[in-house]
Amino acid sequence: MTRNARRGQLGNRLLAVWSVIVFAFLFLPIIVIIAYSFNSGRLLVAWEGFSLAPFAAIFEKPVIRDAVMVSIRTGLIAAVLASLLGTLAGIAMARRPGRWVWWFLGLLLLVSVTPEIVDAVALLPWLVFLGQDLGISLFSDGTARLVVGHSLFSVAIVSYIVRARLVGQDARLEEASADLYATPLRTFMKITLPLAMPAVLAGFLLSFTLSLDNTVVSAFVQVSGTTPWPVYVLSALRSGLRPEIAAVSTIMLVLTLISLALVALVLKRAGDSATQIARTMAGG
Amino acid sequence: MPQRPPRVRSPRFVLAVPAWAWLLAFFVAPIGMVVWFSFGYKPGIFGTHANDVLSFDRYVEALSPTFFTTFQNTLWVGVLGTLLCLIIGMPVAYWMAVKAPPERRGLLLALVMVPFWTNFLVRTLGWQVILAPEGWLSTLLQGIGVTDGPLEVLYTRAAVLIGVVYNYLPLMILPLFVAFDRVSTPLREASKDLGANAVSTFLRVTVPLARPGIIAGVLLVYIPLMGDYITATVLGGAQGNMIGQLVASQFGTAQNWALGSAMAVLLIIVIMLSIGIAAALIWAATLPFRSRSRLILGEGS
Repeated sequence: MTRNARRGQLGNRLLAVWSVIVFAFLFLPIIVIIAYSFNSGRLLVAWEGFSLAPFAAIFEKPVIRDAVMVSIRTGLIAAVLASLLGTLAGIAMARRPGRWVWWFLGLLLLVSVTPEIVDAVALLPWLVFLGQDLGISLFSDGTARLVVGHSLFSVAIVSYIVRARLVGQDARLEEASADLYATPLRTFMKITLPLAMPAVLAGFLLSFTLSLDNTVVSAFVQVSGTTPWPVYVLSALRSGLRPEIAAVSTIMLVLTLISLALVALVLKRAGDSATQIARTMAGG
Repeated sequence: MPQRPPRVRSPRFVLAVPAWAWLLAFFVAPIGMVVWFSFGYKPGIFGTHANDVLSFDRYVEALSPTFFTTFQNTLWVGVLGTLLCLIIGMPVAYWMAVKAPPERRGLLLALVMVPFWTNFLVRTLGWQVILAPEGWLSTLLQGIGVTDGPLEVLYTRAAVLIGVVYNYLPLMILPLFVAFDRVSTPLREASKDLGANAVSTFLRVTVPLARPGIIAGVLLVYIPLMGDYITATVLGGAQGNMIGQLVASQFGTAQNWALGSAMAVLLIIVIMLSIGIAAALIWAATLPFRSRSRLILGEGS
């Protein structure tokens, strides 16, 4: 073995060791939160002993239960809405390309790179304007406000994913369907939509997860009475964190993992490779 | 009655109209409103904004010494955080895409995905638990004698830096992985056959070809990092203030929407300007290299 080759092997080993360290780093706080959700102490950060009390507390405290329910309800509505808008936009971009696509992609890019805090502080006065000054009572409703806030980024994600999927698929199926005298609606329902379905499902689940996670926009647009879970946590920061918060986080983490696993499963059954799945999950 | 033509094509973008309308109504319009508010003022204690007199005064007011300190702090965390993410993430992405066994790649990607999709606030809380003076790390470090007193990292700039590097690292690894994955093995082997060692193959073949991914990763980390609000709030305390918190406090406690709007606009300007300056600097710095070691590849690469 030459010296170069041996040095190369050492380099590879160093790379592998570094990667393992980084993976450990990536999981450290998650593991800590899961472990501390079994903390019997009164405060989250000070470990006292093992207990299931924090999980029991979720059911005993209506505030926490309500916050989780608000999060899940908002997540579902926002995901349905984002999938609907995003799917249509994604199909249009893939199947009716033209110069407008670049403008639209530009807008989606702007939506996805704008710092959340800017979205948040912009939506607050706008929703107040729509709800109070224009008197559209829908925008004074807590759930509606949260759904609006959560939908923006999700619409962009779903559009990217659906477009990416359909661009990679043959358009001739749709042409054949039209040649066989199927109406445009029938072609859409029978051919285009089934082709896009894995991407739509993935987009739906990712939107749901994004909505569960959304903290910054929620904190600004929420109306008291419909406080979603992350905003409750954020306000608990000031009054002192208790182990229940870790317990709910653990449950939410499981929920996230389930939806991620479903995304991977859906995409895998649609024939995507690991890299393609990663690309989809990273937002196209 | 004349026969309908077999293919009626609606206008090209008709299916995208709902999404257009939605984003115009709830993204473009609100941001436009913030820009409009930034030229107004706060009328009295109870009002939040008024626009009957337009001026640039809020921008002048926003550029106060407090803003500059926070601005410097944000830039420090933003630039250093992005660089650290790049330095930490690049070897990992390279290893995953090139060195790791291909059949393990799915699993490795899943391992990056899980932290990426875990609730941002929860991940940050995890760090608060770790770094707390009464937490286990502090006890451990005191136990083995590394530090004398309790760990005093929480609520400092260092804690914010740890938090942002942690929070945004997956956003760097994923695009880098995709980029390295695209650089095919034959090209690297060709470089090796032509006598290049591993380092110069990496620097002169792999990195130039992966450049779009590197740029994407840097931007994906830098932009949200500069606007970060949660990490700085949970881990930063008074010392770790960032512009995002300043903007938030004007809309929250201070109820001064005009000033807050000006700060939000400044935040976006700062982000765009710093990216522009960095791009120009990098362009100028790499000018002598580019002319010599230009890599021209055909379609097949």
